[in-house]
Amino acid sequence: MTSSTITREIPKPGINFQLYELGKFIRLSLTWLTIIFGAVWIASWLVGVLLPAAIEQFMQGDNAHFIGNVLRALTPIVSVMVFIPINAMFMVLCERRALALFTVRKGPNRVGPDGYLQTAADAVKLLFKEDITPHGADAIMFTLAPIIFFAPSIFGALPLLAAVTADHPLYSFVNLPTGIFYVLAMSSIPVVGLVMGSWASNNKYSLVGGLRSAAQAVSYEIPLVLSIITVCFMAGSLDVVQIARQQAGGLLNWNVFGGGALTHANLGSITSIVAALIMSLSCVILFCMYLIAACAEVNRIPFDLPEAESELVSGYNTEYSGIKFAIFFLAEFTNLFIVSTVATVMFLGCGAAPLPILDEVMVGTVTSLLAWAQNNLGANFGQLGWLINSLINPTTFVAALWVILKVYSLVVFAILVRGTLPRFRIDQLMDFGWKRLIPLSLILLIAITFLKELV
Amino acid sequence: MENIISFSQATVEPIMFYALVLLMVPLAFGVIFDRSIIRAGFILIGVFGTISGIFLLLQAQFLAMAQIMIYAVGITLVVVIALMLTNPTLDEDRAPTQAANRLPGFLIALLVFATIFLAIRSELWPMAPELIQSDPTKAIGYFLLTFYSLPFEFSSILLLAALIGSVMLAKSDRAPMKTEKGNAKALAKSTR
Repeated sequence: MTSSTITREIPKPGINFQLYELGKFIRLSLTWLTIIFGAVWIASWLVGVLLPAAIEQFMQGDNAHFIGNVLRALTPIVSVMVFIPINAMFMVLCERRALALFTVRKGPNRVGPDGYLQTAADAVKLLFKEDITPHGADAIMFTLAPIIFFAPSIFGALPLLAAVTADHPLYSFVNLPTGIFYVLAMSSIPVVGLVMGSWASNNKYSLVGGLRSAAQAVSYEIPLVLSIITVCFMAGSLDVVQIARQQAGGLLNWNVFGGGALTHANLGSITSIVAALIMSLSCVILFCMYLIAACAEVNRIPFDLPEAESELVSGYNTEYSGIKFAIFFLAEFTNLFIVSTVATVMFLGCGAAPLPILDEVMVGTVTSLLAWAQNNLGANFGQLGWLINSLINPTTFVAALWVILKVYSLVVFAILVRGTLPRFRIDQLMDFGWKRLIPLSLILLIAITFLKELV
Repeated sequence: MENIISFSQATVEPIMFYALVLLMVPLAFGVIFDRSIIRAGFILIGVFGTISGIFLLLQAQFLAMAQIMIYAVGITLVVVIALMLTNPTLDEDRAPTQAANRLPGFLIALLVFATIFLAIRSELWPMAPELIQSDPTKAIGYFLLTFYSLPFEFSSILLLAALIGSVMLAKSDRAPMKTEKGNAKALAKSTR
């Protein structure tokens, strides 16, 4: 009886099956994203709004105000701390399910409802595994390596928080004048952790993996940084909030389409139009170049030579087990998330909608809903209206929704690339980096600098 | 937020400075005293990292980031990798220093120290209570391309010379071993 219902429910392999699996994948992503951002939202609201307000209410004087401000200042860190582990769990599950989708399989679907808890179970398993330090390893550096690999990804992404929340007052103070440069500098640190861990493991495979990763990271960091610098030239600023703000007002103002070159072009002169067209084209190339270099920077297929498991056992983390391996794993997915966020902020307009009217409508809807809640609930239930109002800031809410959509689209695109392309050979990788990407990035840097003046 | 900022400037900054120094000086000694040269290289990365922290305390964000990116990660990591490639045994250097080397080594170290010390002491270091310009990044960019453009270009020429020199060293024709000579020629032809 039960078996017949199951066979009726699940379509046969084919296009229907794929659509069915796609539906399940989208359902899973939405559920998990709600969990992730709900948790982050509640946590940052507790630390940034409710607790300081309560302290200032019940304790009088300057001291209470000071403690409240310290708590408010901790909000960005708390939200990142809550976000990273849950997000990594989701991204691993998302990657496995998406890869299954692309290769016509089902993926993990046993633990919890439809496999939703698979990575939570994996995480628990990893935490309870024995933590082994191999014989002859340099114990201190062996332990330090995962930390050095992981810590920069927590602290490096902080300035981006100000941009993705549309400069929310609780987050605006993490914004630095040298914001994007800080992000780049921090994201260059993890390679030290890789080399350190690979050397300290006292294992040849690990060492080769670590050296490969260092060579790769050093060579691909140049086009990565140059493409970001080009965007900074276009924006005339290193401040991520300012760069994000300049891209407001529709698809054509995004840096990936020339950062407003098309909308600002002087229609009277032919030079200006041609320059604007060439500039938007070069910006698209620049964006593709950033994606390639970022893919190599976070060691993903097709650039996953450091851990090429068919050649190097598992590369730099061969000897790692238990919680240290878990940290490496966590950091890799967090780094993927961070490069996607940088791409969103620098190229894809950050929190701006593709059409400006869409932004206005969404912000307007949220604002009117809030006003309705304030009027109806506030009148009947006292403080409830204030609570709801403090929970939602309409501009931040809409901007964050767009950022989430864009960032996770890029993540799924990276997974699609992983499901599609084979791995590069090491000499091909180096040739591609040094002989193609770096000259191209220099040409684009000069071209865009001049074209900007011509538009 | 204002009370936090004033509090941090009055109280936290000296504490942070001493914390950084307490971290930096032992690390700097570690670079010299560590027997394993590769570990010394990694400790050097830590020293540069703490120096960038001091730049941060001095409100020079751009310099701090450049310090991390170029010195701590870029250059030192390349040095460490070069050490790994040239010294593949990964053994610790346990042999005692030879007596004949000690005096010249000490003299050279003294000379280097005296040069650096005198160079630092001969300069007046005027201290401004506030930042001279509101945007240090802009100031650095402006002065590098105007007043200090000549030293800037000279340093790039130095780097270029080093680059060409290393390429010449790497490309210099070594006489291939007799057994491999035929193979190498065949390989060269096939790749062409």
